[in-house]
Amino acid sequence: MAFKRTPQVFNCSMNEVTFGTGAKAVTIGGENVYPLYTFDGPIKNKVAIGVEITDDGFDASVPGIAEFYAGCDSIGAIAKRASEMPGADFVVLTLEGADPNGKNKSVDECAAIAKEVADAIDCPLAVQGCKNIEKDTELFSKVSEVCAGKNILIVSARQEDYKTIAASAVMAYGQKMSAESAVDINLAKQLNVLISQMGIAPENCVQNVGSAAAGYGFEYVASTLDRVVGAALTQNDGMLQMPIVTPVGGESWVVKESTASEADVPEWGNREERGIEMEVSTAAACIIGGSNAVFMRHPEAVKTISNLVNALM
Amino acid sequence: MFYTVIFRVEDGGDIKYHAQPGENILEIAQKAGVNIDVPCGGNGTCGKCKMRIMSGSVNYNKDNSKLSDEDYDDNWRLACQATVEGDVMLWVPAAASDYISGIVTASLRTPEELKRYNAMVDELFTHDLKRGVEEKGYGIAIDIGTTTNAVTILDLETGTIVSRGTVGNGQIRYGADVINRIIQQGRPGGRERLQHAVLEETLIPLIQKELEAANIDPMTVTRMVIAGNTTMEHLLVKANGDSIRLMPFEPEFLDHEPMKASELRFPVNPDAKVILAPNVGSYVGGDITAGVLSALLWDREEMSLFIDLGTNGELVFGNKDYMLTCACSAGPAFEGGDISCGMRASRGAIDSCVIHKQTLMPLVTTISKGRPAGMCGSGLIDVIAELYKVGAIDAKGKFIREDKRIRDDGYGDKEYVLFYADESATGRDIFISESDIDNFIRAKGAIFSATRTMLKSVDMNVQDIDKIIIAGGIGSGIDMENAMLIGMLPKADLSKYSYIGNSALTGACAMLISDDATEKVFDIAHNMTYIELSTEPGYMDEFSAACFIPHTDSKLFE
Repeated sequence: MAFKRTPQVFNCSMNEVTFGTGAKAVTIGGENVYPLYTFDGPIKNKVAIGVEITDDGFDASVPGIAEFYAGCDSIGAIAKRASEMPGADFVVLTLEGADPNGKNKSVDECAAIAKEVADAIDCPLAVQGCKNIEKDTELFSKVSEVCAGKNILIVSARQEDYKTIAASAVMAYGQKMSAESAVDINLAKQLNVLISQMGIAPENCVQNVGSAAAGYGFEYVASTLDRVVGAALTQNDGMLQMPIVTPVGGESWVVKESTASEADVPEWGNREERGIEMEVSTAAACIIGGSNAVFMRHPEAVKTISNLVNALM
Repeated sequence: MFYTVIFRVEDGGDIKYHAQPGENILEIAQKAGVNIDVPCGGNGTCGKCKMRIMSGSVNYNKDNSKLSDEDYDDNWRLACQATVEGDVMLWVPAAASDYISGIVTASLRTPEELKRYNAMVDELFTHDLKRGVEEKGYGIAIDIGTTTNAVTILDLETGTIVSRGTVGNGQIRYGADVINRIIQQGRPGGRERLQHAVLEETLIPLIQKELEAANIDPMTVTRMVIAGNTTMEHLLVKANGDSIRLMPFEPEFLDHEPMKASELRFPVNPDAKVILAPNVGSYVGGDITAGVLSALLWDREEMSLFIDLGTNGELVFGNKDYMLTCACSAGPAFEGGDISCGMRASRGAIDSCVIHKQTLMPLVTTISKGRPAGMCGSGLIDVIAELYKVGAIDAKGKFIREDKRIRDDGYGDKEYVLFYADESATGRDIFISESDIDNFIRAKGAIFSATRTMLKSVDMNVQDIDKIIIAGGIGSGIDMENAMLIGMLPKADLSKYSYIGNSALTGACAMLISDDATEKVFDIAHNMTYIELSTEPGYMDEFSAACFIPHTDSKLFE
């Protein structure tokens, strides 16, 4: 008997979420087939790539990145350049300088930076916090306020601060939010339930179910992504159908493969190439698992992933 | 170099002890025989071993949020966190030793319990079992619980109860749960101390008292049946308990040969036969096998789920053809441990509660109608279910409503005040905090995930259960609907639920008056399949899914 292929198309789909405004607004999610399974059915929206900059600009220790941003004299100029990176769909601003245990920049200062970035670019903006719960809560409220009308994506609300972020970012200023949990499908779903119970509509929320650099416990990320997408599509679990965003740059550029100098480990070869490879392999693995958007840093890595997305979707 | 430590026990006089610098105050108190309830085993987390310095000083580790700054400034210290640094006199409040008296437990004491007991025994002997034993005279059935012990004296010929009594397990001061006890028995001299605590300090005085009260000659007591969990049975006979908690979780014994009363120093006829109900595994012991006998799972066509709620939750699922069993560590939350204002089910414990939707004003009942002193397990279930119903907490157990009764404790933890200091028996606010709710959610999560994991292992679902039988002392007042609402017990029609009280004691009584029943319990034990949850791969996943109100998969409770 001849083999008869049955396309695995599901009756339900991931939610669609749009952030940004105007012609360059980005829509992610909406697919009703497994990630990259274009042979089963068309994938509604391509994976989007965000280019990550920080409140301090960019990582000047990496030659390729430094070169790319050469001549940019303000955060606005850096953001503009980032938005023009080939393959980029949106810009991600990480306000790591707000960390009270680090530079402890004030909320107003950070909000001003976010405003400058939002005004400088014509593509959508996502804003990441400093991981300090109390500071982030304040920060996200203020950033949402100064960026009102820009439909930015706030990354991320956690179990401890989802209430304030949902109320200020989404309800008061009409932004989008991301729900972050630590690599556990149950925790992911629990947070999504709590956020929905606050009255946040599905089209306003994405999820970040956790990330890790390839080789650094990524099997947990892979299995969580698999199970989230599996439950969302095969069981029509509405509380897991939020599109998935995964920060990659922040994970892959801090591990030893990307940071060890050539003087320390000459046998590993060029540091920048290693970093790009880490970033590309991590991002690709996330996309295979079901991420609908990845945040990246290096122009070469962004180009590579963009090519991959265009070739496979 | 020795210093003098004096414990001035409220309603109890002074106890003096000589100790070396650096010795832990709690350990000294235990050695000196000062009864202190230590549900946390001396980890500084329960705050129940509070003592006040009257003179002298102790070396104290203040890194502990359980003791408020006010209490600290008022010279209160947690004994478990304090060590000797000089002569000291400490005042021990009566509340610290409350567990010794006044615990209300299912012990065949009330007419209602007695009626239930008689009905269960009568029912049992319609099931192909004959009454009657070789021995003549009187018999004693004992349920050794981790927290509470119950003793019943029966006339062997007629089967009538002539006397009964309960007492807190004297081993409590060595830790509230079995794990802490096993750790304690592993220390030098530990097995002797723990056996002494349960025999000389607990059972023997109670038996003497009950025999005297009933005016029975101890020599006429010729048969005893003891049902306890695996750890309790090991500690009773001084067997090494280490293997219970270590891989591969094989206890020293499952079935124990009958012993003579003299071997355990019981004050009865030295030749009296002492039967220990058989164990099934590390955490499913004789209390469960005896309980299953009385719950009649073994003689039914339909599938029953039997849950014994306690510090350890034990579950049995099956029918006359097969039975599965497993145990989960629910922790002391159901019995008031690890809960700021938790307490055992004794006088003043809030055992049921309704909260007003608008004002958040609580309406409660308390045990023995005392002024509210704290919350016991059934009260906690109600308080949490009510807080959830009125929208004061979210599904994670975090407060989401603003109200004058909901306040911040200053450490980022919010709490709901049920009673202010001037309304309570303790002179302190009675409240429930987010971390209390968290502890409780973990306890209920453990019970529910164990249920699901066990059912899954035979490819069944909660819908396949025909009958749900709840046993255990803390089950008495449980509002089943609230317990389902918060996802502790499986969603089912209320008519499927029944409560059978202290099934272990009932089973032990049946074994006392029937050789047939005794044989049956051994049969049941040998035919049960024991599932070790800690090695079951899906359990942790089920557990984190169950730590939510009611459950991450809310469809299970619709």
